[in-house]
Amino acid sequence: MPKKTTDFHEASFRDPSGAMFYDEKVLRRRINPIYFPQYTKLKESGFFKTLHDNSLLISHEETAVSEAEIIITPEPIPFITNPYEWSFEQYKHAALHTLKLQKYALSKGFILKDASAYNVTFHKGAPIFIDTLSFDFYEEGTPWRAYKQFITHFFGPLVLAKYHGSEIFKMMQTHIDGLPVKLIASMLPGKTKLSTTLYTNIHLLAKMESKHSEDYKAETKVAKLSRKGQENVIDSLYNYIKDLELKEASEWGNYYTKTNYEQQAFEGKKTQIQEWVSLLKPQRLIDIGGNDGTFARTVLKNVPDVIVTDIDANAVGQNYEMARKQKESNMLAFVCDVLQPAPGIGFNNTERNSLIERLHNYAPDVTMALALIHHITLSGNVPFEKSAEFFAKFSTHLILEFPTREDSWVESLLVRKREFINHFDFYNEVSFEEGYQSYFTIEKKVTLPGTKRILYLLKNKTR
Amino acid sequence: MNFLYFDPGLGAMIVQAVVAAAAGILLFSKGVMYKVKGFFGLNKEEEDPYDSIDVEEKESETDAKKDN
Repeated sequence: MPKKTTDFHEASFRDPSGAMFYDEKVLRRRINPIYFPQYTKLKESGFFKTLHDNSLLISHEETAVSEAEIIITPEPIPFITNPYEWSFEQYKHAALHTLKLQKYALSKGFILKDASAYNVTFHKGAPIFIDTLSFDFYEEGTPWRAYKQFITHFFGPLVLAKYHGSEIFKMMQTHIDGLPVKLIASMLPGKTKLSTTLYTNIHLLAKMESKHSEDYKAETKVAKLSRKGQENVIDSLYNYIKDLELKEASEWGNYYTKTNYEQQAFEGKKTQIQEWVSLLKPQRLIDIGGNDGTFARTVLKNVPDVIVTDIDANAVGQNYEMARKQKESNMLAFVCDVLQPAPGIGFNNTERNSLIERLHNYAPDVTMALALIHHITLSGNVPFEKSAEFFAKFSTHLILEFPTREDSWVESLLVRKREFINHFDFYNEVSFEEGYQSYFTIEKKVTLPGTKRILYLLKNKTR
Repeated sequence: MNFLYFDPGLGAMIVQAVVAAAAGILLFSKGVMYKVKGFFGLNKEEEDPYDSIDVEEKESETDAKKDN
Protein backbone atom coordinates (compact mmCIF):
# COMPACT_ATOMS: atom_id res chain seq x y z
CA MET A 1 0.00 0.00 0.00
CA PRO A 2 1.40 3.45 -0.87
CA LYS A 3 2.61 5.43 2.09
CA LYS A 4 0.94 8.79 2.55
CA THR A 5 3.26 11.75 2.68
CA THR A 6 0.89 14.11 4.50
CA ASP A 7 -1.62 13.73 7.25
CA PHE A 8 -4.34 15.06 4.97
CA HIS A 9 -7.24 12.81 4.33
CA GLU A 10 -7.04 12.22 0.61
CA ALA A 11 -10.75 12.63 0.02
CA SER A 12 -11.13 16.31 0.81
CA PHE A 13 -8.45 18.36 -0.91
CA ARG A 14 -10.76 19.73 -3.60
CA ASP A 15 -12.66 22.11 -1.39
CA PRO A 16 -10.83 25.38 -0.49
CA SER A 17 -13.17 25.82 2.51
CA GLY A 18 -11.23 23.32 4.55
CA ALA A 19 -9.86 19.82 4.68
CA MET A 20 -9.94 16.63 6.67
CA PHE A 21 -6.75 15.54 8.37
CA TYR A 22 -5.53 12.93 10.80
CA ASP A 23 -4.48 14.14 14.21
CA GLU A 24 -2.74 10.98 15.31
CA LYS A 25 -5.58 8.53 14.73
CA VAL A 26 -8.42 11.00 15.08
CA LEU A 27 -9.99 12.37 11.94
CA ARG A 28 -10.60 16.12 12.22
CA ARG A 29 -11.71 18.87 9.88
CA ARG A 30 -9.86 22.14 9.42
CA ILE A 31 -11.96 25.13 8.37
CA ASN A 32 -10.17 27.94 6.55
CA PRO A 33 -10.96 31.65 7.15
CA ILE A 34 -12.61 31.85 3.72
CA TYR A 35 -15.44 29.72 5.13
CA PHE A 36 -15.72 31.37 8.57
CA PRO A 37 -18.78 33.54 7.69
CA GLN A 38 -20.76 30.51 6.50
CA TYR A 39 -19.67 28.33 9.39
CA THR A 40 -20.54 30.96 11.99
CA LYS A 41 -23.96 31.60 10.53
CA LEU A 42 -24.73 27.88 10.18
CA LYS A 43 -23.75 27.33 13.77
CA GLU A 44 -25.42 30.36 15.33
CA SER A 45 -28.70 30.07 13.48
CA GLY A 46 -29.19 26.56 14.85
CA PHE A 47 -28.97 25.08 11.36
CA PHE A 48 -26.29 22.55 12.29
CA LYS A 49 -28.17 21.66 15.46
CA THR A 50 -31.40 20.81 13.63
CA LEU A 51 -29.47 18.66 11.16
CA HIS A 52 -27.58 16.92 13.94
CA ASP A 53 -30.74 16.34 15.99
CA ASN A 54 -32.39 14.74 12.98
CA SER A 55 -29.29 12.65 12.17
CA LEU A 56 -29.12 14.22 8.73
CA LEU A 57 -25.57 15.54 9.05
CA ILE A 58 -22.71 13.88 10.90
CA SER A 59 -22.40 15.55 14.29
CA HIS A 60 -19.22 17.30 15.31
CA GLU A 61 -17.55 19.05 18.20
CA GLU A 62 -15.61 22.25 17.95
CA THR A 63 -12.08 21.40 18.99
CA ALA A 64 -10.14 24.63 18.48
CA VAL A 65 -10.86 28.15 17.28
CA SER A 66 -8.27 30.69 16.19
CA GLU A 67 -8.04 33.45 13.61
CA ALA A 68 -6.24 31.20 11.21
CA GLU A 69 -8.43 28.13 11.48
CA ILE A 70 -11.30 26.42 13.20
CA ILE A 71 -10.91 22.72 13.93
CA ILE A 72 -13.93 20.50 14.31
CA THR A 73 -13.97 16.82 15.17
CA PRO A 74 -16.76 14.85 13.54
CA GLU A 75 -18.25 11.71 15.03
CA PRO A 76 -16.17 8.81 13.68
CA ILE A 77 -17.70 6.49 11.09
CA PRO A 78 -16.24 2.98 11.34
CA PHE A 79 -16.56 2.07 7.67
CA ILE A 80 -17.18 4.26 4.63
CA THR A 81 -19.09 2.74 1.73
CA ASN A 82 -18.96 4.39 -1.69
CA PRO A 83 -21.75 4.88 -4.26
CA TYR A 84 -20.52 2.00 -6.42
CA GLU A 85 -21.02 -0.30 -3.44
CA TRP A 86 -24.62 0.61 -2.74
CA SER A 87 -27.75 -1.33 -3.57
CA PHE A 88 -30.51 0.41 -5.47
CA GLU A 89 -32.45 1.13 -2.27
CA GLN A 90 -29.41 2.68 -0.65
CA TYR A 91 -28.57 4.77 -3.71
CA LYS A 92 -32.13 6.00 -3.88
CA HIS A 93 -32.19 6.83 -0.22
CA ALA A 94 -28.89 8.73 -0.45
CA ALA A 95 -30.31 10.78 -3.34
CA LEU A 96 -33.49 11.61 -1.42
CA HIS A 97 -31.37 12.51 1.58
CA THR A 98 -29.40 15.02 -0.48
CA LEU A 99 -32.57 16.64 -1.86
CA LYS A 100 -34.06 16.82 1.59
CA LEU A 101 -31.01 18.69 2.84
CA GLN A 102 -31.05 21.06 -0.11
CA LYS A 103 -34.72 21.85 0.42
CA TYR A 104 -34.24 22.50 4.10
CA ALA A 105 -31.11 24.56 3.46
CA LEU A 106 -33.00 26.67 0.94
CA SER A 107 -35.77 27.36 3.43
CA LYS A 108 -33.14 28.69 5.83
CA GLY A 109 -31.25 30.83 3.34
CA PHE A 110 -28.53 28.32 2.50
CA ILE A 111 -27.79 25.95 -0.35
CA LEU A 112 -25.81 22.79 -0.84
CA LYS A 113 -22.91 24.05 -2.89
CA ASP A 114 -22.17 20.55 -4.09
CA ALA A 115 -24.22 17.39 -4.46
CA SER A 116 -21.53 14.76 -4.76
CA ALA A 117 -22.64 11.22 -3.97
CA TYR A 118 -19.49 10.90 -1.86
CA ASN A 119 -20.93 13.43 0.58
CA VAL A 120 -23.32 10.74 1.74
CA THR A 121 -22.50 7.44 3.36
CA PHE A 122 -24.33 4.94 5.54
CA HIS A 123 -24.03 5.04 9.28
CA LYS A 124 -26.24 3.57 12.01
CA GLY A 125 -28.59 2.06 9.47
CA ALA A 126 -29.34 5.24 7.54
CA PRO A 127 -27.79 7.63 5.04
CA ILE A 128 -25.90 10.51 6.57
CA PHE A 129 -24.36 13.61 5.04
CA ILE A 130 -20.69 13.79 5.95
CA ASP A 131 -19.41 17.01 4.37
CA THR A 132 -20.09 19.71 6.94
CA LEU A 133 -18.59 22.40 4.69
CA SER A 134 -20.96 21.80 1.79
CA PHE A 135 -23.37 24.55 2.80
CA ASP A 136 -23.18 28.07 1.48
CA PHE A 137 -25.34 31.21 1.50
CA TYR A 138 -28.27 31.28 -0.88
CA GLU A 139 -28.33 34.28 -3.19
CA GLU A 140 -31.86 35.27 -4.11
CA GLY A 141 -32.67 34.43 -7.71
CA THR A 142 -29.74 32.12 -8.44
CA PRO A 143 -30.23 28.60 -9.79
CA TRP A 144 -28.86 25.64 -7.84
CA ARG A 145 -25.20 25.43 -8.72
CA ALA A 146 -24.95 21.79 -7.71
CA TYR A 147 -27.90 20.84 -9.90
CA LYS A 148 -25.78 19.28 -12.63
CA GLN A 149 -23.75 17.41 -10.07
CA PHE A 150 -26.93 16.02 -8.58
CA ILE A 151 -27.95 14.74 -12.01
CA THR A 152 -24.57 13.19 -12.82
CA HIS A 153 -24.03 11.68 -9.36
CA PHE A 154 -27.55 10.66 -8.37
CA PHE A 155 -30.42 11.14 -10.77
CA GLY A 156 -28.68 9.84 -13.89
CA PRO A 157 -27.29 6.65 -12.33
CA LEU A 158 -30.64 5.91 -10.66
CA VAL A 159 -32.66 6.33 -13.83
CA LEU A 160 -30.12 4.23 -15.76
CA ALA A 161 -30.35 1.53 -13.08
CA LYS A 162 -34.08 1.38 -13.65
CA TYR A 163 -33.46 0.36 -17.26
CA HIS A 164 -30.15 -1.50 -17.01
CA GLY A 165 -30.03 -2.82 -13.44
CA SER A 166 -27.95 -1.75 -10.48
CA GLU A 167 -24.75 -2.91 -12.19
CA ILE A 168 -24.83 0.63 -13.60
CA PHE A 169 -23.64 2.00 -10.26
CA LYS A 170 -20.27 0.37 -10.87
CA MET A 171 -19.75 3.01 -13.57
CA MET A 172 -19.24 5.46 -10.73
CA GLN A 173 -15.95 3.68 -10.16
CA THR A 174 -14.64 4.94 -13.46
CA HIS A 175 -16.34 8.35 -13.26
CA ILE A 176 -15.52 9.88 -9.92
CA ASP A 177 -17.21 13.15 -10.93
CA GLY A 178 -20.41 11.42 -11.94
CA LEU A 179 -21.61 10.03 -15.27
CA PRO A 180 -21.46 12.56 -18.12
CA VAL A 181 -24.95 13.86 -18.94
CA LYS A 182 -24.48 13.06 -22.62
CA LEU A 183 -23.64 9.46 -21.79
CA ILE A 184 -26.67 9.15 -19.51
CA ALA A 185 -28.93 10.56 -22.24
CA SER A 186 -27.47 8.21 -24.86
CA MET A 187 -28.03 5.15 -22.68
CA LEU A 188 -31.68 5.85 -22.00
CA PRO A 189 -34.40 4.37 -24.23
CA GLY A 190 -36.04 6.82 -26.66
CA LYS A 191 -39.35 6.67 -24.83
CA THR A 192 -37.82 8.49 -21.87
CA LYS A 193 -38.04 11.66 -23.98
CA LEU A 194 -41.79 11.50 -23.48
CA SER A 195 -41.44 11.85 -19.72
CA THR A 196 -41.53 15.49 -18.66
CA THR A 197 -39.13 14.90 -15.78
CA LEU A 198 -36.66 12.80 -17.76
CA TYR A 199 -36.83 14.99 -20.86
CA THR A 200 -36.08 18.22 -19.00
CA ASN A 201 -33.62 16.91 -16.41
CA ILE A 202 -31.60 14.71 -18.73
CA HIS A 203 -32.20 15.07 -22.48
CA LEU A 204 -32.66 18.82 -22.50
CA LEU A 205 -29.83 19.25 -20.01
CA ALA A 206 -27.53 17.25 -22.29
CA LYS A 207 -28.48 19.46 -25.23
CA MET A 208 -27.97 22.68 -23.32
CA GLU A 209 -24.67 21.47 -21.97
CA SER A 210 -23.22 20.78 -25.39
CA LYS A 211 -24.64 24.05 -26.73
CA HIS A 212 -22.92 26.10 -24.03
CA SER A 213 -19.80 24.05 -23.63
CA GLU A 214 -17.65 26.62 -25.45
CA ASP A 215 -18.44 29.58 -23.28
CA TYR A 216 -14.85 29.85 -22.09
CA LYS A 217 -15.10 33.42 -20.92
CA ALA A 218 -18.27 32.91 -18.95
CA GLU A 219 -19.79 35.81 -20.87
CA THR A 220 -23.31 34.55 -21.40
CA LYS A 221 -25.76 36.24 -19.09
CA VAL A 222 -26.19 34.65 -15.71
CA ALA A 223 -29.32 32.55 -15.51
CA LYS A 224 -32.03 33.47 -13.00
CA LEU A 225 -34.33 31.20 -11.08
CA SER A 226 -36.79 32.13 -8.34
CA ARG A 227 -36.71 30.37 -5.00
CA LYS A 228 -40.10 28.86 -5.74
CA GLY A 229 -38.76 27.62 -9.08
CA GLN A 230 -35.86 25.94 -7.36
CA GLU A 231 -38.18 24.33 -4.86
CA ASN A 232 -40.20 22.95 -7.74
CA VAL A 233 -37.07 21.40 -9.25
CA ILE A 234 -36.20 19.76 -5.93
CA ASP A 235 -39.73 18.56 -5.20
CA SER A 236 -40.26 17.05 -8.62
CA LEU A 237 -36.92 15.25 -8.53
CA TYR A 238 -37.77 14.00 -5.05
CA ASN A 239 -41.16 12.67 -6.11
CA TYR A 240 -39.71 11.03 -9.19
CA ILE A 241 -36.87 9.31 -7.36
CA LYS A 242 -39.15 8.17 -4.55
CA ASP A 243 -41.27 6.23 -7.04
CA LEU A 244 -38.33 4.74 -8.94
CA GLU A 245 -38.21 0.98 -8.81
CA LEU A 246 -35.81 -1.64 -9.97
CA LYS A 247 -36.97 -4.72 -11.76
CA GLU A 248 -34.19 -7.24 -11.95
CA ALA A 249 -34.17 -10.84 -10.85
CA SER A 250 -31.83 -11.61 -8.00
CA GLU A 251 -28.85 -13.84 -8.62
CA TRP A 252 -29.86 -15.79 -5.56
CA GLY A 253 -33.52 -14.96 -5.31
CA ASN A 254 -34.78 -16.57 -2.16
CA TYR A 255 -31.47 -18.14 -1.35
CA TYR A 256 -32.53 -19.53 1.98
CA THR A 257 -35.57 -21.25 0.58
CA LYS A 258 -33.28 -23.00 -1.90
CA THR A 259 -30.67 -24.30 0.50
CA ASN A 260 -29.57 -27.87 0.09
CA TYR A 261 -29.82 -28.74 3.74
CA GLU A 262 -32.59 -29.26 6.24
CA GLN A 263 -33.99 -26.77 8.70
CA GLN A 264 -32.31 -28.68 11.51
CA ALA A 265 -28.90 -28.40 9.88
CA PHE A 266 -29.57 -24.70 9.34
CA GLU A 267 -30.23 -24.30 13.07
CA GLY A 268 -27.12 -26.34 13.85
CA LYS A 269 -24.97 -23.99 11.80
CA LYS A 270 -26.52 -21.00 13.54
CA THR A 271 -25.88 -22.42 16.99
CA GLN A 272 -22.26 -23.25 16.17
CA ILE A 273 -21.60 -19.74 14.88
CA GLN A 274 -23.29 -18.15 17.87
CA GLU A 275 -21.18 -20.27 20.19
CA TRP A 276 -17.87 -19.27 18.58
CA VAL A 277 -18.82 -15.62 18.31
CA SER A 278 -19.84 -15.42 21.97
CA LEU A 279 -16.48 -16.97 22.79
CA LEU A 280 -14.55 -14.39 20.76
CA LYS A 281 -16.61 -11.37 21.93
CA PRO A 282 -15.86 -9.28 18.82
CA GLN A 283 -16.43 -5.53 18.71
CA ARG A 284 -16.51 -5.61 14.94
CA LEU A 285 -17.62 -8.40 12.67
CA ILE A 286 -17.87 -8.69 8.91
CA ASP A 287 -19.74 -11.36 7.01
CA ILE A 288 -18.38 -11.68 3.49
CA GLY A 289 -20.81 -13.24 1.06
CA GLY A 290 -23.40 -12.85 3.79
CA ASN A 291 -26.38 -12.57 1.41
CA ASP A 292 -29.26 -10.74 3.14
CA GLY A 293 -27.63 -10.93 6.57
CA THR A 294 -29.48 -14.01 7.83
CA PHE A 295 -26.47 -15.45 9.66
CA ALA A 296 -25.02 -12.13 10.76
CA ARG A 297 -28.39 -11.38 12.36
CA THR A 298 -28.04 -14.38 14.64
CA VAL A 299 -25.14 -12.64 16.39
CA LEU A 300 -26.26 -9.03 15.87
CA LYS A 301 -27.31 -8.52 19.48
CA ASN A 302 -23.86 -9.41 20.80
CA VAL A 303 -21.69 -7.44 18.40
CA PRO A 304 -21.65 -3.62 18.47
CA ASP A 305 -20.74 -3.22 14.80
CA VAL A 306 -21.64 -5.64 12.01
CA ILE A 307 -21.03 -5.39 8.27
CA VAL A 308 -22.53 -7.74 5.71
CA THR A 309 -21.41 -7.68 2.13
CA ASP A 310 -22.54 -9.65 -0.87
CA ILE A 311 -22.11 -9.71 -4.63
CA ASP A 312 -25.88 -9.65 -5.06
CA ALA A 313 -27.19 -6.09 -4.91
CA ASN A 314 -30.74 -7.32 -4.36
CA ALA A 315 -29.77 -9.29 -1.28
CA VAL A 316 -27.92 -6.21 -0.01
CA GLY A 317 -31.01 -4.12 -0.68
CA GLN A 318 -33.20 -6.58 1.22
CA ASN A 319 -30.76 -6.55 4.09
CA TYR A 320 -30.75 -2.75 4.15
CA GLU A 321 -34.53 -2.56 4.21
CA MET A 322 -34.81 -5.20 6.90
CA ALA A 323 -32.26 -3.35 9.04
CA ARG A 324 -34.26 -0.15 8.61
CA LYS A 325 -37.53 -1.83 9.47
CA GLN A 326 -36.12 -3.49 12.56
CA LYS A 327 -34.08 -0.40 13.49
CA GLU A 328 -30.82 -2.33 13.60
CA SER A 329 -28.42 0.58 13.82
CA ASN A 330 -25.35 -1.67 14.05
CA MET A 331 -25.92 -3.37 10.70
CA LEU A 332 -24.25 -2.03 7.55
CA ALA A 333 -24.82 -3.67 4.17
CA PHE A 334 -22.89 -3.09 0.97
CA VAL A 335 -22.24 -4.69 -2.40
CA CYS A 336 -18.89 -6.30 -3.13
CA ASP A 337 -17.55 -8.84 -5.55
CA VAL A 338 -14.72 -10.56 -3.72
CA LEU A 339 -13.11 -11.44 -7.05
CA GLN A 340 -12.87 -7.76 -8.00
CA PRO A 341 -13.03 -5.62 -4.88
CA ALA A 342 -13.37 -1.86 -5.32
CA PRO A 343 -10.00 -0.28 -6.21
CA GLY A 344 -8.57 2.99 -4.95
CA ILE A 345 -9.84 5.70 -7.30
CA GLY A 346 -9.48 9.39 -8.07
CA PHE A 347 -6.42 11.61 -8.06
CA ASN A 348 -3.30 9.68 -7.06
CA ASN A 349 -5.57 6.63 -6.76
CA THR A 350 -6.15 7.70 -3.17
CA GLU A 351 -9.26 9.92 -3.14
CA ARG A 352 -11.41 6.90 -2.41
CA ASN A 353 -9.69 4.04 -0.66
CA SER A 354 -9.66 0.55 -2.03
CA LEU A 355 -11.85 -2.00 -0.32
CA ILE A 356 -8.85 -3.88 1.07
CA GLU A 357 -7.48 -0.67 2.60
CA ARG A 358 -10.83 0.15 4.20
CA LEU A 359 -11.23 -3.38 5.51
CA HIS A 360 -7.70 -3.27 6.87
CA ASN A 361 -8.50 -0.03 8.73
CA TYR A 362 -11.82 -1.36 9.92
CA ALA A 363 -9.94 -4.36 11.33
CA PRO A 364 -12.82 -6.70 12.13
CA ASP A 365 -12.24 -9.00 15.09
CA VAL A 366 -14.21 -11.72 13.36
CA THR A 367 -14.58 -12.33 9.64
CA MET A 368 -17.19 -14.80 8.47
CA ALA A 369 -17.07 -16.49 5.08
CA LEU A 370 -19.90 -18.98 5.04
CA ALA A 371 -20.26 -21.18 1.99
CA LEU A 372 -18.22 -18.72 -0.04
CA ILE A 373 -14.99 -20.63 -0.54
CA HIS A 374 -16.36 -22.94 -3.26
CA HIS A 375 -17.42 -19.89 -5.29
CA ILE A 376 -14.04 -18.22 -4.92
CA THR A 377 -12.16 -21.43 -5.65
CA LEU A 378 -14.29 -23.09 -8.30
CA SER A 379 -16.03 -20.16 -10.03
CA GLY A 380 -13.13 -17.76 -9.59
CA ASN A 381 -10.32 -20.32 -10.00
CA VAL A 382 -8.54 -18.80 -7.01
CA PRO A 383 -6.08 -21.21 -5.32
CA PHE A 384 -6.58 -21.72 -1.57
CA GLU A 385 -3.37 -19.97 -0.67
CA LYS A 386 -4.43 -16.85 -2.59
CA SER A 387 -7.85 -16.63 -0.97
CA ALA A 388 -6.19 -17.20 2.42
CA GLU A 389 -3.89 -14.26 1.62
CA PHE A 390 -6.95 -12.10 0.88
CA PHE A 391 -8.63 -12.89 4.20
CA ALA A 392 -5.36 -12.53 6.11
CA LYS A 393 -5.03 -8.90 4.96
CA PHE A 394 -7.75 -7.75 7.33
CA SER A 395 -9.01 -10.64 9.47
CA THR A 396 -8.03 -11.63 12.99
CA HIS A 397 -10.36 -14.58 13.45
CA LEU A 398 -11.94 -16.20 10.45
CA ILE A 399 -15.00 -18.42 10.61
CA LEU A 400 -15.03 -20.27 7.32
CA GLU A 401 -17.51 -22.82 6.07
CA PHE A 402 -16.01 -25.35 3.70
CA PRO A 403 -18.46 -27.34 1.58
CA THR A 404 -16.72 -30.61 0.73
CA ARG A 405 -16.68 -32.23 -2.69
CA GLU A 406 -19.72 -34.27 -1.68
CA ASP A 407 -21.83 -31.16 -1.16
CA SER A 408 -24.42 -30.97 -3.93
CA TRP A 409 -23.52 -27.38 -4.87
CA VAL A 410 -19.84 -28.13 -5.11
CA GLU A 411 -20.77 -31.13 -7.23
CA SER A 412 -22.75 -28.97 -9.59
CA LEU A 413 -19.94 -26.41 -9.83
CA LEU A 414 -17.50 -29.22 -10.59
CA VAL A 415 -19.72 -30.82 -13.18
CA ARG A 416 -19.82 -27.51 -15.04
CA LYS A 417 -16.07 -27.75 -15.51
CA ARG A 418 -16.76 -30.60 -17.94
CA GLU A 419 -13.53 -32.00 -19.41
CA PHE A 420 -11.48 -29.85 -17.04
CA ILE A 421 -13.03 -31.42 -13.97
CA ASN A 422 -9.81 -33.15 -12.92
CA HIS A 423 -8.02 -29.79 -12.92
CA PHE A 424 -9.94 -29.20 -9.72
CA ASP A 425 -8.98 -32.33 -7.83
CA PHE A 426 -7.23 -30.01 -5.39
CA TYR A 427 -10.61 -28.93 -4.07
CA ASN A 428 -10.56 -31.01 -0.91
CA GLU A 429 -10.19 -30.72 2.84
CA VAL A 430 -6.48 -31.53 2.90
CA SER A 431 -5.39 -28.97 0.29
CA PHE A 432 -7.68 -26.41 1.85
CA GLU A 433 -6.02 -26.79 5.23
CA GLU A 434 -2.60 -26.77 3.66
CA GLY A 435 -3.30 -23.55 1.77
CA TYR A 436 -4.88 -21.75 4.69
CA GLN A 437 -2.17 -22.76 7.12
CA SER A 438 0.26 -20.45 5.33
CA TYR A 439 -1.62 -17.58 6.97
CA PHE A 440 -3.86 -19.08 9.63
CA THR A 441 -3.80 -21.61 12.42
CA ILE A 442 -6.77 -23.93 12.74
CA GLU A 443 -8.28 -23.38 16.16
CA LYS A 444 -11.46 -25.39 15.78
CA LYS A 445 -12.99 -27.65 13.19
CA VAL A 446 -16.51 -29.07 13.22
CA THR A 447 -18.51 -31.03 10.67
CA LEU A 448 -21.94 -29.46 10.51
CA PRO A 449 -24.45 -32.18 11.32
CA GLY A 450 -26.79 -33.08 8.51
CA THR A 451 -24.56 -31.45 5.85
CA LYS A 452 -21.45 -32.21 3.83
CA ARG A 453 -19.79 -29.08 5.15
CA ILE A 454 -17.04 -28.31 7.65
CA LEU A 455 -16.96 -25.18 9.78
CA TYR A 456 -13.48 -23.87 10.65
CA LEU A 457 -12.39 -21.34 13.21
CA LEU A 458 -9.08 -19.94 12.01
CA LYS A 459 -6.71 -17.46 13.64
CA ASN A 460 -4.49 -15.17 11.65
CA LYS A 461 -0.83 -15.81 12.42
CA THR A 462 0.50 -12.88 10.38
CA ARG A 463 -0.97 -10.22 12.68
CA MET B 1 -20.54 34.72 -1.85
CA ASN B 2 -20.41 31.59 -3.89
CA PHE B 3 -17.10 30.07 -4.67
CA LEU B 4 -17.00 26.85 -6.54
CA TYR B 5 -14.27 24.38 -7.07
CA PHE B 6 -16.08 22.64 -9.85
CA ASP B 7 -17.80 23.89 -12.99
CA PRO B 8 -21.56 24.08 -12.42
CA GLY B 9 -22.05 23.93 -16.20
CA LEU B 10 -23.61 26.96 -17.87
CA GLY B 11 -26.14 24.83 -19.72
CA ALA B 12 -27.17 23.31 -16.42
CA MET B 13 -27.70 26.76 -14.92
CA ILE B 14 -29.83 27.94 -17.83
CA VAL B 15 -31.84 24.76 -18.19
CA GLN B 16 -33.09 24.97 -14.61
CA ALA B 17 -35.63 27.65 -15.54
CA VAL B 18 -37.23 25.24 -18.01
CA VAL B 19 -36.96 22.31 -15.59
CA ALA B 20 -38.59 24.42 -12.89
CA ALA B 21 -41.46 25.49 -15.16
CA ALA B 22 -42.14 21.90 -16.24
CA ALA B 23 -41.86 20.70 -12.65
CA GLY B 24 -44.26 23.42 -11.56
CA ILE B 25 -46.90 22.28 -14.03
CA LEU B 26 -46.35 18.64 -13.07
CA LEU B 27 -46.61 19.30 -9.35
CA PHE B 28 -49.66 21.49 -9.86
CA SER B 29 -51.48 18.87 -11.93
CA LYS B 30 -50.58 16.18 -9.41
CA GLY B 31 -52.00 18.35 -6.66
CA VAL B 32 -55.22 18.84 -8.62
CA MET B 33 -55.50 15.10 -9.30
CA TYR B 34 -54.98 14.41 -5.61
CA LYS B 35 -57.80 16.77 -4.70
CA VAL B 36 -60.13 15.35 -7.32
CA LYS B 37 -59.39 11.79 -6.17
CA GLY B 38 -59.81 12.91 -2.58
CA PHE B 39 -63.24 14.28 -3.44
CA PHE B 40 -64.27 10.84 -4.65
CA GLY B 41 -62.45 9.11 -1.80
CA LEU B 42 -59.96 7.41 -4.07
CA ASN B 43 -56.71 8.33 -2.35
CA LYS B 44 -54.88 5.32 -1.05
CA GLU B 45 -52.96 5.54 2.16
CA GLU B 46 -49.52 4.32 1.15
CA GLU B 47 -46.86 3.10 3.46
CA ASP B 48 -43.83 5.29 2.98
CA PRO B 49 -40.50 3.62 3.70
CA TYR B 50 -38.66 6.87 3.06
CA ASP B 51 -38.99 9.88 5.27
CA SER B 52 -40.79 12.97 4.14
CA ILE B 53 -38.71 15.62 2.36
CA ASP B 54 -39.48 18.05 5.16
CA VAL B 55 -37.16 18.30 8.11
CA GLU B 56 -38.72 18.27 11.56
CA GLU B 57 -37.76 21.10 13.82
CA LYS B 58 -37.96 20.81 17.55
CA GLU B 59 -39.49 23.51 19.73
CA SER B 60 -36.24 24.33 21.46
CA GLU B 61 -34.95 25.76 18.23
CA THR B 62 -37.51 28.51 17.91
CA ASP B 63 -35.17 31.03 19.49
CA ALA B 64 -32.42 30.21 17.09
CA LYS B 65 -34.78 30.50 14.15
CA LYS B 66 -35.49 34.16 14.80
CA ASP B 67 -32.16 34.97 13.22
CA ASN B 68 -33.37 33.95 9.81
